[in-house]
Amino acid sequence: MEELFVNMGQIRSLKSTGVLTTVGLGSCVGVTLYDSVAKVGVMGHIFLPTSRGSNGSTITSPGKYADTGIPALIEQAVKLGAQKRRLVAKIAGGANLFPNLNLNSVSIGEQNIAAVIKNLSNHNIPIVGKDVAGNHGRKMRFFVETGRVCVTAIGKEPIEI
Amino acid sequence: MYDAKLDFLRELGNIGTGHATTALSQMLQGKLFQLVVPDARMLPFEEAADFIGGLEQVVAGIFVAVSGDVSGHMAFILPIDSAMTLVRLLTSGQNEELDEMALSALQEMGNIMITSYLNALASMTDMVFAPSVPGIAIDMAGAVWQSVLAGAQAADEVTIIRTDFYADGSAIEGHIIFLPDEEDFVKIARVMGLEDM
Amino acid sequence: MPKKVLITDDTAFMRMTLKNVIEKNGFEVVGEAGDGEEAIAKYKELQPDLVTMDITMPKMDGITAIKEIMKIDPNAKIVVCSAMGQKPMVIEALNAGAKDFLVKPFDAERVVEALRKAAP
Repeated sequence: MEELFVNMGQIRSLKSTGVLTTVGLGSCVGVTLYDSVAKVGVMGHIFLPTSRGSNGSTITSPGKYADTGIPALIEQAVKLGAQKRRLVAKIAGGANLFPNLNLNSVSIGEQNIAAVIKNLSNHNIPIVGKDVAGNHGRKMRFFVETGRVCVTAIGKEPIEI
Repeated sequence: MYDAKLDFLRELGNIGTGHATTALSQMLQGKLFQLVVPDARMLPFEEAADFIGGLEQVVAGIFVAVSGDVSGHMAFILPIDSAMTLVRLLTSGQNEELDEMALSALQEMGNIMITSYLNALASMTDMVFAPSVPGIAIDMAGAVWQSVLAGAQAADEVTIIRTDFYADGSAIEGHIIFLPDEEDFVKIARVMGLEDM
Repeated sequence: MPKKVLITDDTAFMRMTLKNVIEKNGFEVVGEAGDGEEAIAKYKELQPDLVTMDITMPKMDGITAIKEIMKIDPNAKIVVCSAMGQKPMVIEALNAGAKDFLVKPFDAERVVEALRKAAP
């Protein structure tokens, strides 16, 4: 079974079979979109909430930001044969690994979660599974044949979302 | 010009880490540490994620924001085995597991090392590099490193100075990473008499 | 009568380490503070003979705490114990009224020597 790794800011997709995996979800949010009829799955690894203020690098990596990443994920899914109205989302991550540091008044993780939820809602894509926030890192594995998403973390039982 | 800038960054890494490991050595009754030649790079975001390697390995990460004349961020990352060995040595065998006191010992050790690194740069350049209160996380390397990059807001190109160190016969190894803010790096170079960086 | 010491550091590990060293050498640790604010409150409450003070701490840093304690008691004997050893900070701490400035890591003798010198 093919396993594709999705790095920070990347978007990757599979059809019918295989696993999409992303490791290293700290404050980042992993997002999966799935069309269970066409069996098309895409996964993104969102790093920051908005592309406002960036200097044009969005063109090369729209997957870095929630506002450009969600549309890019949808586009990739549709390209592979998915229908937008059938897409459902699952999200994991958005943690704060260094809570006592207070680098921002609202942690980047919280901002990412809010931005992802808002952008999915703008496109009418329901979130059917989530495991977000907290203070621990996560790994997310997305099985495209079934749409199952498994989230694992150090010292915690693996869960399915 | 590019090479000169990287050489300079490597030199900063060398000096900083030299002081940091000297400090660590003093905390561990004079244990000797070897430094691996620092790796200095300016990486596009897409490559920065892989920089640390071993994404699923469990590590201890101590993270600090730097302010003053120079701003940026610093991280001290070590595999969990090395962290446990250090805790045992620091507490003279009192701590065998990663409880609150062990985490406190690790955090303090990371704090002393990072601050020693910054003290060395400060002394060399006559500038102030003030560290924040540190944060500590025990987690998968990928998540820790990603959180460090997010904290440093490294969304485009990121400058990374990384020095590895290890102690012979004692399974202690780690990475000290300095992520200077771009504009401030230029300040340092100018102070050192290196124009056109 | 052993001299009474208040230890200030944001790390439990360093407070424990300092307490062990200090108590082994004939002093009495009467209290511990985790930040500058707590140090001021405990100083007023416990009236120690000596204070060890870290610099980088949450809520209130050590230099601010030194200034506030010196206002309360111009005879306060404060010895800085910090990883931060950069000249401007050292000068600021000493100008604020600290009697000595030890840079971590330091060995036990050095701490004891500094405390004895500050409050003979």
